[in-house]
Amino acid sequence: MNVMIALAGRIGRSTLNALAACARVSVLMVETIFWLVVAPIRGKGLRTKSAVESFVEFGVRSLPIVGMICFLVGVILALQSSYTLEKWGANRFIATLVAVSALREMAPLMTAVLITGRCGSAITAEIATMKVNEEIDALEVMGLNPIKYLVAPKFLAMLVAVPCVTVIAMFIMVFGGYLASIVVVGVQSSIYIEETIRALTEKDLVIGLTKSLFFGIAICWVGVFRGFQVEGGAEGVGLQTTSSVVTSIFLIIIIDLVFTVLFYFL
Amino acid sequence: MGNTQPIIVVEDLVAGYGDRIVLDHLNFTVRRGEIFVILGGSGSGKTTLLRCLVGLKKPISGRILINGEDFTAMSDEEQIELRKRMGMSFQGSALLTSISVGENVALPLREHTKLEESTIDIMTKIKLELVELGGFEDYLPSELSGGMRKRAGIARAMAMDPEIIFYDEPSAGLDPIVAAGVDALIRKMQETFGLTSIVVTHEMESVKLIADTVCMLESGQIVAIGSLEELERSGHPYVHQFLARQPDAEEGGDSSYARSLTGID
Repeated sequence: MNVMIALAGRIGRSTLNALAACARVSVLMVETIFWLVVAPIRGKGLRTKSAVESFVEFGVRSLPIVGMICFLVGVILALQSSYTLEKWGANRFIATLVAVSALREMAPLMTAVLITGRCGSAITAEIATMKVNEEIDALEVMGLNPIKYLVAPKFLAMLVAVPCVTVIAMFIMVFGGYLASIVVVGVQSSIYIEETIRALTEKDLVIGLTKSLFFGIAICWVGVFRGFQVEGGAEGVGLQTTSSVVTSIFLIIIIDLVFTVLFYFL
Repeated sequence: MGNTQPIIVVEDLVAGYGDRIVLDHLNFTVRRGEIFVILGGSGSGKTTLLRCLVGLKKPISGRILINGEDFTAMSDEEQIELRKRMGMSFQGSALLTSISVGENVALPLREHTKLEESTIDIMTKIKLELVELGGFEDYLPSELSGGMRKRAGIARAMAMDPEIIFYDEPSAGLDPIVAAGVDALIRKMQETFGLTSIVVTHEMESVKLIADTVCMLESGQIVAIGSLEELERSGHPYVHQFLARQPDAEEGGDSSYARSLTGID
């Protein structure tokens, strides 16, 4: 009996905690949208300089690692699909497989996961450290809204950076697949290019970019939310940073699944 | 002192975290131009009181009147307007670590005023000179010593030429010489600019040097308020214990302590 009560209590408490977290995330969303959309219209300004700096950090500086990983994933995709396709003498369809899975799935996903690791964690660590050091309080006392000062520019930067990096990642991944097919598998270059062009439609690009846009939103919001949640000192910062990465990747997979199912039926 | 009109009036202030009441029906008045020290031990509620006064924490009930306006009932925008006339120096200085000391001081000016960049530069230099940090504009906060950071924090609090300045534990974590320097700075700011200063501290040495009025808190209640001499004369046991720096009396001695550990009578 006692076990049942304890179990019910635990379920109830975690439900309440989850609801409270949802409420806080919603407040954060509303405030961010206010400072991004409504406030600039009312002439309260947006910190564009800070947004550009964040864009360079999230976008431009992510390019080397994202490019490298996506190239390798392209190579892997080509070699793995050749393993099956070769048996049917259908190696030319490696091109189709690589192109479609790169644009629709792998490039947006790999980019999002890498940017989570590079930047989502950094956002959490930065905001959490600022909170622990009373820097967030200092901003408030100075009459500066932390959402306007810290969150809105990062959010805007992330919203632009993730799709931009994703497009480049798509090209690099397809190129990786191309190179592997030509050099290792021995597909003719002209056939590969021809098949790639035939396989791809605008819809693939749209699906990939839609996903990446929502991935960007998730990375930034989780990063910021976890940062503001910090309690205690350095230990709290570490905990929230880890949990930010885990939550982000989990959310990215869920979003990916939702959109994949959605576009499957559309 | 001269001027004795009230600048901050706290009426029946109650604040807490969840079900725990930390500030229990406080009433007091801060006069314009004085140095008002909030004194108390750890857990007495002094930091919570300061957070309520600057609007970082919403009280459960009660009013905080600043210049006759109720701070707790204001809209966000009115609060921001009021905050431009208040400055706060934090315990750990709370300088933004990603930008230089000069940019920290310039930040409120940049965000709240439409001054020319050259004017902001000059004002930043003046504020840093004021706290004897002239020439340190381009240093990052991490490149300064603890005492210098604290003074830079005071310069930032002074940036908007406030009427009221709040200091949270200004001499905590500093060696006696540097701490005395910070105390002298607090006195200088008050004398030069007629600033109303509210200082939260537990250091008796600072209190002796700077306090005009001392408000002593214990467990969320005011046990004594007045000048330091009045406090010394008050005869309240907690005040006496605090001023004489005596530990809590042990209750029951060793045998009851052993009982509390073992649970055996």
